[in-house]
Amino acid sequence: MEKILRLIKTFLLWELLQGLAVTLRHLFAPAITVQYPEEKTPLSPRFRGLHAQMRYDDGEERCIACKLCEAVCPAMAITIESAEREDGSRRTTRYDIDLNKCIYCGFCEEACPVDAIVQTPIFEYHGEKQSDLYYTKPMLLAIGDRYRDDILRCKAADAKYR
Amino acid sequence: MTAEIRNYSINFGPQHPAAHGVLRLILELDGEVVQRADPHIGLLHRATEKLAETKTWLQNLPYMDRLDYMSPLSNEQAYCLAVEKLLGIEAPVRAQYIRVMYAEITRLLSHLLWLGAHGIDLGAMTMFIYCFREREDLLDMVEAVSGARMHAAYFRPGGVYRDLPDSMPKYEESKLRNKAKLQRINANRDGSLLDFIEDFTNRFPARIDEYETLLTDNRIWKQRTVGIGVVDPDRAKALGFSGPMLRGSGIAWDLRKKQPYEIYDRLDFDIPIGKNGDSYDRYLVRVEELRQSNRIIRQCVDWLKKNPSPVITENHKIAPPKRDAMKSNMEELIHHFKLFSEGMHVPLGEAYAAIEHPKGEFGIYLLSDGANKPYRMKIRAPGFCHLSALDELSRGHMLADVVAIIGTLDIVFGEVDR
Amino acid sequence: MLEIEIDGKKTTVAPGSTVMDAARALGVHIPHFCYHKKLSIAASCRMCLVEVEKAPKPLPACATPVTAGMVVKTHSNAAVTAQKGVMEFLLINHPLDCPICDQGGECHLQDIAVGYGAGESRYREEKRIVPNKDLGPLITTEMTRCIHCSRCVRFTEEVAGYQELGLAHRGEHSEVMPFLGKTVNSEISGNVIDLCPVGALTSKPFRYTVRAWELSRRKSIAPHDGLGSNLIVQVKNHKVMRVLPLENEAINECWLSDRDRFSYEALNSASRATKPQVKKDGQWIETDWQSALELVAGKLKDTVAAHGRDSVAALATPNSTVEELFMLRKLMAGLGVEQVETRLRAADFRLHTAGATWLGQSIAELAQSDAVLVIGSNIRKEQPLLAQRLRQSAKRGMKLSVLNPARYDLLAPLAGELIVRPDQMVEALLTVLKAACEAAGKTAPAHIDLSSIEVCDASRSIAATLTAHSAILLGNLAAHHPRYAELHAAAAALAELSGAKLGVMSEAANTVGAQLIGAETSGNLFASPKKALILLNAEVQFDCHNATEALAAVRAADFVVALNPFADGVKDYADVILPVAPFTETSGTFVNMEGRAQSFNGVVRPLGETRPAWKVLRVLGNVLGFNGFDYESSEAIRDEALAGDIAPRLSNALKAPVAVKAQAASGLVRLGEVPLYQLDALTRRAPALQATADAAEPALRANAATLAGLSLKAGDSACAAQAGGKALLCVREDTTLPDGVIHIAGSHPLTTGLGGLFAPVTVERAG
Repeated sequence: MEKILRLIKTFLLWELLQGLAVTLRHLFAPAITVQYPEEKTPLSPRFRGLHAQMRYDDGEERCIACKLCEAVCPAMAITIESAEREDGSRRTTRYDIDLNKCIYCGFCEEACPVDAIVQTPIFEYHGEKQSDLYYTKPMLLAIGDRYRDDILRCKAADAKYR
Repeated sequence: MTAEIRNYSINFGPQHPAAHGVLRLILELDGEVVQRADPHIGLLHRATEKLAETKTWLQNLPYMDRLDYMSPLSNEQAYCLAVEKLLGIEAPVRAQYIRVMYAEITRLLSHLLWLGAHGIDLGAMTMFIYCFREREDLLDMVEAVSGARMHAAYFRPGGVYRDLPDSMPKYEESKLRNKAKLQRINANRDGSLLDFIEDFTNRFPARIDEYETLLTDNRIWKQRTVGIGVVDPDRAKALGFSGPMLRGSGIAWDLRKKQPYEIYDRLDFDIPIGKNGDSYDRYLVRVEELRQSNRIIRQCVDWLKKNPSPVITENHKIAPPKRDAMKSNMEELIHHFKLFSEGMHVPLGEAYAAIEHPKGEFGIYLLSDGANKPYRMKIRAPGFCHLSALDELSRGHMLADVVAIIGTLDIVFGEVDR
Repeated sequence: MLEIEIDGKKTTVAPGSTVMDAARALGVHIPHFCYHKKLSIAASCRMCLVEVEKAPKPLPACATPVTAGMVVKTHSNAAVTAQKGVMEFLLINHPLDCPICDQGGECHLQDIAVGYGAGESRYREEKRIVPNKDLGPLITTEMTRCIHCSRCVRFTEEVAGYQELGLAHRGEHSEVMPFLGKTVNSEISGNVIDLCPVGALTSKPFRYTVRAWELSRRKSIAPHDGLGSNLIVQVKNHKVMRVLPLENEAINECWLSDRDRFSYEALNSASRATKPQVKKDGQWIETDWQSALELVAGKLKDTVAAHGRDSVAALATPNSTVEELFMLRKLMAGLGVEQVETRLRAADFRLHTAGATWLGQSIAELAQSDAVLVIGSNIRKEQPLLAQRLRQSAKRGMKLSVLNPARYDLLAPLAGELIVRPDQMVEALLTVLKAACEAAGKTAPAHIDLSSIEVCDASRSIAATLTAHSAILLGNLAAHHPRYAELHAAAAALAELSGAKLGVMSEAANTVGAQLIGAETSGNLFASPKKALILLNAEVQFDCHNATEALAAVRAADFVVALNPFADGVKDYADVILPVAPFTETSGTFVNMEGRAQSFNGVVRPLGETRPAWKVLRVLGNVLGFNGFDYESSEAIRDEALAGDIAPRLSNALKAPVAVKAQAASGLVRLGEVPLYQLDALTRRAPALQATADAAEPALRANAATLAGLSLKAGDSACAAQAGGKALLCVREDTTLPDGVIHIAGSHPLTTGLGGLFAPVTVERAG
């Protein structure tokens, strides 16, 4: 009996029809695709995207040139030069991140004792040539200034876990 | 008169879409029958093992992600276990649960990618799309916890970097979504990450049923996989197979059961094995592993919901202190500074830690001379052994079957070339 | 010998050793802050607490003498708990400065906190704040970071000789401070930076520039004084960032003089020449090496052909390496020229010794002498670390006496002292010689005329100290003296008579090496006019005995080629400037005062188009078509230049007797010391060194009686005049000077208008 049933199923392409039924069901199910860039998928506040340098509320740059980020960077993407500023404080004279080298591991942000270098939720950036992805201190500070609210919101959301 | 007949050699890859990454295969064909298959590797060689000797124990961690980049967290797990073995410590139990849960999520990610890609290789286009639909949810879980979809850098020697978040990021309003749609797609994102994962585990078995409906009994699928690339149990052992490649041949060997690490011995799950050692059996094993991993994840979610506790060792000689403590206390600041500049020192010794990786036995061997960097690191990558059996598996098969065999090996060149 | 067991390892140590000594001998590391092998024991940090069996509580290893059969545990529970507790206390008041502290990454406090301290802080109260102190231009202070180990205090007192720092107040209020309104002025003060285990004392020029982990460490040799201190030059991106001592017990121990430590700043100075330059119609034009060398070769060849070989001469400073001097001499020989001179600051060339003049023994042996007589040396400023050694010896009982033209403070107990006018130094030495003759009942050699000498008590007591185990040392003031040959001859006679060893403390890093290869042959090159001159590293206005005479000579020459790392010093009179590498950018060899040849490698690549001088001279030889100019490496040159054993070629013995006869003194005489930080081109361009008290502008100094005789008083302006030139200087009273002596430092832009360093001088009020 079972044999006959199997024979019928074989001739009727039963298992293929079952598969087609699955795809047919999906044909009428709501679409799960996202119409990027009009729509976007959710982004975690922990997301590790483009880097930024932050400032204090009074506009003073946070970075104190301790060079921990440079030291911990596994890809050696960060280059820092430091000197004493006129007011006697320790500051960077150069803070470059080569995003071509960067592996976005987030260690620089973990290492920073003053929350100066952060990774932002920004992932939509590009460069037309290699040198476009070499970010200097003014560029990083500008990103921090421009997306300050977004960045601070993300960092605040994650602060209790760190 | 006899015609002069010569075998025909072709290059398969490294640009071939079915070559899975950067495999270059020299195939010697007699007509359409494979006489010899010679895999060439090294196109993705980055000297990870040598590089590790110049990087601190922490700096090496993100490089693990880039070995088998389809299961980054499993690679991290093996590395962390090896370092912890050298340090003589164990991660807190919650961290172990998180690591196991994410290792299993990673197994789903890896197997789903394999299933989709294997399907598309053999003509089952829809599989690819369905598998990636589930992968999207899984990648959201990885991103929610680590901040990256693939290269997580989330596990650490001594635990995991951060605890699981209490909330999931949500879809935002847009012109293309009405309120009702927004509410529907955000429905499973209202709770915590664990709620989101729990929701997934509820949905997932039905999805696996869908995959099986499409493939398991499908005559085309069976024609392409049954009896292709048969490995008998003895050969499987002799070839150094592990993971589904070994279990497909009927050997019930799974490190999670045989040499339980982390908290696998507290979990309830089964080890599926095949009978014939062909591509079809390996397909069945992997599909069943999807179900078993789902069970494990569910058990981890239940435990994690009930047991809030630290997720990383509180020994600050190994793991940096919390940020607020670092900013207000001297001891913590010093330890933070030294950990991120010089890094921790790991006692003299050697350790091998192996895990049941989605692909098989993935092991990290570490030799420490007591410094802040490994003296030597050796990576035992399952894909390397599996790839080296390609010649034996594909001899006598048709050219089109080579695609099925490469697919069934489930190789990823990040770990093969490393 | 006492037996001791530490952590299960057994050893025997001499009685009087401490547990720390025994642990060091066994290779057991005990954490410590205040303990330092070269300093006295303070036992103030308590970090080295260890458990000693049968002792009721943990004992400090650094201050606990070993007793027979002692059993010590450094890792037992009691010891670890004690160490942890001490660490916690040390961190209570330590500020959260690591991210901005220069010590971060090389900090003992960090290392020991991670190694032996707790991971969490229990301290929640306020931390104390200590105001910073001004310790001068070399050392930055962050006194809040201080953990009161008192290493710096003990260093200034015990090693530098004068307690410039003190630990004031008590308990939580205690702080390290200098005397009110004073800075730290020791010539070896930089060592407190190395000694400070935390970031309380850090290097000012180095401040906030790089982290320790960014630097590569390369070995080198100090190019300044004749000691040849071993250096670790720290480099980042082919730039010298810092210089630290490389421990060498035979030479510099673990110390470094400030001159050696901070002169590196000049290497990165803006006045470095980076391209060959040629003067055309009074304008400097940058050119390429090929045309510059062809021009030089052509000019030299033409000058020799047209005016004879005596019309060309070469001058080099004794800071030039053996290789450079050898190549210079070889090049000159190729041209047929014999006149190569490195004794630029000497005025008396009558002396001919059997070999290269040297210390007469090793530095370590010298420190073991019973007595030392120093003749003509402001030794603290000339040889800072040798002075430190002699100070330690004097404290241990060595009898140190001096014969000087001024009462220099050696910061060491003196057995005898003769302070006379510079032009009476020979006579003063003869009194000692005569006293020694009388005491021994012997007569002086015939070439020394002692007839008019009257022995005084001071000379008798000095003569009495000299035994077979003693040394007589001649310093820079003697070497620059117009009657150096007589001083040397008299000292040699005194040494012969007493059995003491005669030694010459060489002025510069390679003074001995220059003699070994015969780069001092001709005496005063300026005595006859020259048509062409080659200056190797020399800036004649600063490096010569008589600046006026030297400047006139180089200006009168038709063609002057200067091989120099710096352009600004020679621009006035050179016709071609060939930029050559300073010691960090070339390999080379210095032979120090004890005859030890020390080779070093370049630590950074030459700046711009700068080239090592030995290569420049070699190529110049090639351009001139000379044979034997195909050396591939500086090592090949060195092996040829210093072939064979050096020791037999060192001798202070006179080859021919020099007539020594007392002369009468009259009028005013100049005491023209070369200031500490004007010694050579590098020190002259090191900004931090130039900001120290030792680098203050030269003044016209004289004692009160002399000033009264000139009707001058401190603060006046006065004009000093010597044959050929004048200088306008501020007047200062100086009680250390004898009557009739006018102290005007040489080798300084303010005094280049004057003549000989020890020549008569006239002074009149200015304005």
